Amino acid sequence: VSAGKPFRKVLVANRGEIAVRVFRTLREMGIRSVALYSDADRGAHHARSADEAVHIGGAAPGESYLRIDVVLDAARRAGADAIHPGYGFLSENAAFARACAEAGVTFLGPSPESMSMLGDKAAARATAARARVPVVPGADDVADAAAARREAERIGYPVLLKAAAGGGGRGMRLVAEAGAMGEAFAAARRESQAAFGSARLLLEKYVHPARHVEIQFLGDGSDAVALGERECSLQRRHQKILEESPSTAVTPAIREAMERAAVALAREARYAGAGTAEFLLGPDGSFYFLEVNTRLQVEHPVTELRSGLDLVRAQIAIAAGGVLPARPGMGGHAIEVRLTAEDPYHGHLPQTGRALALAWPSGEGVRVDAGIREGQTIHAHYDSLLAKIIAHGRDRAEAVARLRGALRELVLLGVVTNQSFLLDLLGDAAFLRGETYTHSVETTAWPAPEEVPDEVLLAAAVALASPAAARTATADSGRDDTDRWSPWAALGDWGRARLRAGVTS
Amino acid sequence: VSTHIVLRHRGRVLEAHLAQHGGRARLELPAGRTLEAAVRREGRTIAVGDGEQAARIHVAPAPHGIWVAHGGRTYHFETPRAEEGEGPAEFAANEVRAPMTARVVSVDATPGTLVKEGDLLVTLEAMKMEFRLGAPVDGPVAEVRCAAGDRVNVGQLLVRLALPEGVPAAPPANGAQEMEGIG
Repeated sequence: VSAGKPFRKVLVANRGEIAVRVFRTLREMGIRSVALYSDADRGAHHARSADEAVHIGGAAPGESYLRIDVVLDAARRAGADAIHPGYGFLSENAAFARACAEAGVTFLGPSPESMSMLGDKAAARATAARARVPVVPGADDVADAAAARREAERIGYPVLLKAAAGGGGRGMRLVAEAGAMGEAFAAARRESQAAFGSARLLLEKYVHPARHVEIQFLGDGSDAVALGERECSLQRRHQKILEESPSTAVTPAIREAMERAAVALAREARYAGAGTAEFLLGPDGSFYFLEVNTRLQVEHPVTELRSGLDLVRAQIAIAAGGVLPARPGMGGHAIEVRLTAEDPYHGHLPQTGRALALAWPSGEGVRVDAGIREGQTIHAHYDSLLAKIIAHGRDRAEAVARLRGALRELVLLGVVTNQSFLLDLLGDAAFLRGETYTHSVETTAWPAPEEVPDEVLLAAAVALASPAAARTATADSGRDDTDRWSPWAALGDWGRARLRAGVTS
Repeated sequence: VSTHIVLRHRGRVLEAHLAQHGGRARLELPAGRTLEAAVRREGRTIAVGDGEQAARIHVAPAPHGIWVAHGGRTYHFETPRAEEGEGPAEFAANEVRAPMTARVVSVDATPGTLVKEGDLLVTLEAMKMEFRLGAPVDGPVAEVRCAAGDRVNVGQLLVRLALPEGVPAAPPANGAQEMEGIG
């Protein structure tokens, strides 16, 4: 990608690992970077990783990262000439892209028109139909539970209810029969309204067993180039856990057809920038278009490691009027896992705490996109993603071995994470055979390790008996809020028993 | 000199005696089980074992316990807080408490109505996810202590059910499990 008009200073309207990752490319390109931070993110890793940081308001996203006026005001005060939206927050908000244009700041993403054609799921289905891309049978806009029941009877149960404006599983409900529609519809509407500011829902047929395969593409407003697939089937509550490329189920013929479909969609929408077309791959090799994510994906490093391309650099170059790269050669196998502050052995409940000790893994073929630093408090205001660990190898076995090694090396003390579960997932026999479906994680039992190793018991006893440990602990408790936030300290045994008894979803 | 140590991990309690002498530690566990090895503090890790064979265990003290990491697995050994007594004694079978710091999305419980185990009582939202809390037992709703829009702290009482005759307030099922050893 050869760049035209360069940018001097770019503001990242996001937080956590994606903000830090964008700053890295900006630094490489010699562009100054601006971070935003809320009250809750004072001293957060991303706020300390840019050349400048601007405080933008309260901890709740609606008081800071989602405020278009406040973000644009920060950009004006900092003198930024472009804004990178990251993912989530305002990244797929056409009104924000329009407001950026009106404020004379370049939005590093597709045009508001492209976003409107693709970002909204109902509009995307219409765009797909024009581009002759197959879609899952369904209904675009269902007004109420009665209408949803009528449509579901037409295409047959089970069906999925989805937020028309959203992604990432929020506002999504599986409905197995007509009797469950009422409650599911109300819950999906509520989540959709809370997460995306729109309660509009659509409904579609549930393909099973399905794989989730997506195509990364880059567009320049007229043409587009596809960069192969990522398989993201391993999910829980529609949140991706592990992503890999190539998919064990995608043949060269399927890949070619999917890439052709993605490029057709991008051309139809006159797409400029990086985007992802998501597909459901059925057991017979047929695939259906789901949606286009009109932004950088969480799992974009998987494609970067296989292609050697920096997708953030490509976004910036395209926005500056550069030309598309030729389709690069794709090499080896890459796998990403998402390290989250969730307790895998208690319903994956969100966890809070403080990163008391932190050591990221390193080594050949290992990449870490971290969103926290040591000492940082992890609170309940934002999503639970702490870091992404990505490994690249010559083949799948080597990538798996490197990723397992990296997870064994990773040390994060002070907050419960899913690290142990990720190790179990990477050692799972079905995963190693490449049998990965969207239902795999939720239909497999993942028991907590029963045994505490001898050396761990010894080290714990020595540490608990040590006066130095006691002193540090006492000194800490006076000035830190770890105690208040720690789910272990406050929840205790009764709380965990209560969870077993009471949590129904 | 032997130190009495209580190791609590994931609800299980293990009482042990630790003796340290000349760079070696000896941990006497219940049922005559004894662990012994060379131990050295190396910054924020404790090396357990001899020389090159030593396992380097990461340790971080926290206000109410100690965190330990080894081989990609993390363990949190809790120390009880004085004001909470011994923990499980305060458990009540008829209460629904917030499992995490969260915002109340909706409250489906109405005082006086009869609910069945698993019936939806309260919906919470944290880290952009919804969590639905169901009734832990059958019974009438005695008290609702939260409303939509509230921010609630971990452990906070949300709904209390009236217990029918004959149901104990502290179920013995979990208590028995919590007394099992760790190793």
